[in-house]
Amino acid sequence: MNKLSYVIKNTFINMRRNPLLVVATVLAVLVSSFLVFTTLSGRAVVENNTSRWQNGVHVVIFLDDRVTTTAHKQLQDSLESYPEVRMVDYFSKAEAADEFKILFKDQPELVQEVDFEILPSSLRVNLNDPSDYTLIIERMEGNPAVKEIRASGEAIERLLSLTNTLVLAATVFAVLIAFAAFILIINTLRLTAFAKRKEIKVMKLIGASSTYIRLPFIFEAIFESLLGTSIAVGLGWGVIQYSKDSVVAESIFDITISDTYLINLTLGLILTSIIFGFFASYVGIRKALNE
Amino acid sequence: MIKLENVSLVFQGGSVALSNISTEIKEGDFVYLIGHSGSGKSSFLKLLYRDTYQTKGIIEVVDMEVSSLPKWKIPILRRKLGIVTQEPQLLEDRTTYENISFALEVLGYDAQEIDSKTSTLIDLVELQENAYKFPYQLSGGEQTRVAIARALASNPLVLLCDEPTGNLDPDLSIQIVSLLEKINRAGTTVLMATHDSSIVNRRKKRVLELSDGKLIRDENEGTYI
Repeated sequence: MNKLSYVIKNTFINMRRNPLLVVATVLAVLVSSFLVFTTLSGRAVVENNTSRWQNGVHVVIFLDDRVTTTAHKQLQDSLESYPEVRMVDYFSKAEAADEFKILFKDQPELVQEVDFEILPSSLRVNLNDPSDYTLIIERMEGNPAVKEIRASGEAIERLLSLTNTLVLAATVFAVLIAFAAFILIINTLRLTAFAKRKEIKVMKLIGASSTYIRLPFIFEAIFESLLGTSIAVGLGWGVIQYSKDSVVAESIFDITISDTYLINLTLGLILTSIIFGFFASYVGIRKALNE
Repeated sequence: MIKLENVSLVFQGGSVALSNISTEIKEGDFVYLIGHSGSGKSSFLKLLYRDTYQTKGIIEVVDMEVSSLPKWKIPILRRKLGIVTQEPQLLEDRTTYENISFALEVLGYDAQEIDSKTSTLIDLVELQENAYKFPYQLSGGEQTRVAIARALASNPLVLLCDEPTGNLDPDLSIQIVSLLEKINRAGTTVLMATHDSSIVNRRKKRVLELSDGKLIRDENEGTYI
């Protein structure tokens, strides 16, 4: 108990020696952790949304209304025979008109202006694997009953590709800032160790173990790392809550992210920050102990 | 208590600090380790508390084979030894009381034990009036006394003193040796490195003399020749 109080007391004495460096370290960890938290949460939101879209319609085949409905039926039958296809729905011109009215209900002028006769009937295809949309396009090309083909898979792929690029960029940035935080922690500890070099020397002569000498430094590094990460995670939760309530969320994305995912992400980041602090302190104090 | 068999220490670059030293110091002995500067006295002591590593030979200190001691056991060895260096190595921002209690705190004593043991050690080194003074307010001799009190915090079996009177005038040096004799009478083995001939000649004890890293003399009640 006495040793523990010694360690805790010295942890805070050490931190009082270099307050500006401590603040810089906490801020660097904060920015890095916040980037990781928001990036991973953002990716989860995009994946949730795209997965919802992927469970819906993957390919829309607009039909040429000059061709007979028998030909349309034959086309639907042949589509349903493909192993990649899970389901095919016929969408008549009337249904297309109804859908248009719903989609543009906020723009009555547009609804009034449109000639619904130009809206084609369509076959809406749901695939077992959304990435197979290219096979369907290849097979349908040149078919006289087909007017146009649109695949949502392309849009999803583009969105996922963009998301992955953003995630990669943010991860690289987060790693760079984490590295800066790592160096800051090492530097802070080395300055403290230098200021306490005589004390460390005396402790070694008295017979203090390396672990005992090291503990206040380990606690300091973990405390700084944990403080930065905790603030970052708190801010991250705040940003997600704000996004859920924002207008942007209503119009573009459904900001749905499970609490389990967020809790796991929080715990993961906190655990990582403890390991991070421990490792940084190990490197930071190693030289001082070996002298 | 201390045993060296054919111990040599050669530094990187080939300079020989100690050459083929064999000797034994028994429990309760008071021994002077003498020799000119650079004769190997400090290296001899550093080998005993594992601050440096022998090139060859076997070293035993307080029933521990120091020559093959793993790094993690060094603190265990040092808790059985009291080490006083030529520079007292006092913490400047702490009083006499705090410098001594610091050692007890590091050794894991509880608050009550720290208080009582610190007072006992301050009494032993006769620094009652200087207990709450900072090192810069103490004379060289008083600072050495604080260093000795701190070294005694772990109730060591052996006290290793590296030129503790090196910076002191003859009268203060005699006071320090008297203090070490008092500690020795209480049962602690004392090995004191010194090149102060007046002390060695006035307080005759066993003498181990080093010259160019070789043990050239081992004499009971010896003098500085």
